[in-house]
Amino acid sequence: MNGLIEDFKQNFLELDRWKYLVNGLGTTLLITFFAVIIGAVLGFVVAIVRSTHDKTGKMKVLNAICKVYLTVIRGTPMVVQLLITYFVIFGSVNIDKVFVAVLAFGINSGAYVAEIVRSGIMSIDNGQFEAGRSLGLSYRQTMISIIIPQAFKTVLPALANECIVLLKETSVAGYIAIQDLTKGGDIIRSQTFSAFMPLITVAAIYLIMVMTLTHLVGKLERRLAQSDRR
Amino acid sequence: MIDVKHLCKSFAEVEVLKDINETIEQGEKVVIVGPSGSGKSTFLRCLNLMEKPTSGDIIFEGKNITQASEHEMNKLRQRMGMVFQHFNLFPHLTIKRNITLAPVKLGLMTQAEADAKAEELLERVGLPDKANEYPSRLSGGQKQRIAIARSLAMNPDVMLFDEPTSALDPEMVGEVLELMKQLAEDGMTMVVVTHEMGFAREVASRVMFMADGRILEQNEPKEFFANPQNQRLKDFLSKII
Ligand SMILES: Nc1ncnc2c1ncn2[C@@H]1O[C@H](COP(=O)(O)OP(=O)(O)OP(=O)(O)O)[C@@H](O)[C@H]1O
Ligand SMILES: [Mg+2]
Repeated sequence: MNGLIEDFKQNFLELDRWKYLVNGLGTTLLITFFAVIIGAVLGFVVAIVRSTHDKTGKMKVLNAICKVYLTVIRGTPMVVQLLITYFVIFGSVNIDKVFVAVLAFGINSGAYVAEIVRSGIMSIDNGQFEAGRSLGLSYRQTMISIIIPQAFKTVLPALANECIVLLKETSVAGYIAIQDLTKGGDIIRSQTFSAFMPLITVAAIYLIMVMTLTHLVGKLERRLAQSDRR
Repeated sequence: MIDVKHLCKSFAEVEVLKDINETIEQGEKVVIVGPSGSGKSTFLRCLNLMEKPTSGDIIFEGKNITQASEHEMNKLRQRMGMVFQHFNLFPHLTIKRNITLAPVKLGLMTQAEADAKAEELLERVGLPDKANEYPSRLSGGQKQRIAIARSLAMNPDVMLFDEPTSALDPEMVGEVLELMKQLAEDGMTMVVVTHEMGFAREVASRVMFMADGRILEQNEPKEFFANPQNQRLKDFLSKII
């Protein structure tokens, strides 16, 4: 027991090492938050292009571009994408690493969001679409007022899960020397040469965040199910 | 009001409508009957361009609509209401919003005007107390009456019905047919695909028999049912009556 307390003191209190975790957590949340926004926007746009193409045969070129994007992003590891974004795409410019990470994670997440949203749009009965069009609404108006709101409701839990995945994924940000939560824990480990305390703590922080979010998603799902029975 | 000339429609290789020529006058109530797969729905859906004709012309209110642009097509559909077998109410909107969505989005009415219109229509279809319910709370018959009200909110010149009672439990068929009868009496031009021969007899000004993508016979209802000429129609009628 005394050993543990000593360990705790050495790893977190000495030299204010706890700040590595707090600042790291801040960075992790910052990256996740903005990447989620980019991912959501990008994902919706791609999903709309893809399903418009599926439904109407229009937007051939855009659809092809989207397909390449989806294939490349989903077919390569996140770490590699992050490294390429930082060292290749932004290799010759001096640019904020966190910004690069937000972009890389956002673009990555967008691919997964796109497929989630597209499946949501495709799951809406075609009769909804026809009803909208038969009233004289345009394709766009039907999409916006009738299809997307229903699709969004269906995929909301899956989207929330994608946020959780993204939160965990950002733990590779250390590859481009960003001091996120994971890296913070690792820095402490390298300074104190004790692995157990900092790494377990980092794991515990992720776990608590994920469990909290999962709990919220569950609540959301139950509420959505309720409004269906309304 | 609607002139159909040499209308053909194929899906891939399959010819579904074969050279249909027909005129529907203002105020007519045309009932279309025929075996499954004969092209009744496709014909109806060509009238408001939900399906694009493969060839032929459709002239609606003096204008050839087969070459209509997207924009013209949307305009034209505003004047042709369509009622579906499966109602297709918008489940995420209240009944009132179901009715007011299109007129408001299309800039034909303000929300207040549309609300007033919705209340008037709900009164007319006999569901004035359902304005703030969601569709999932309604019975099938009620849903279809709301779907009719939703179409009527656009003040259409024609109403197209594709088997409006086929998805209903038997005890709910009557309320929907009754509403359609009222509509007919109020002078609405109607094209109705249905298996309800009673309705055809009572309400139709003309009954058409469709088979294999052609209109094989048509007549005013009394003659149509009493004196069918075409052998296919005789067989069809003997099977369902
Ligand atoms: N979108 C489509 N793609 C391919 N084939 C279609 C399509 N819609 C209809 N068909 C085919 O066209 C034919 C006529 O269909 P339609 O729905 O018009 O018949 P119907 O007379 O309305 O039949 P029912 O009484 O079963 O509703 C059928 O053989 C059907 O399989
Ligand atoms: Mg049909």
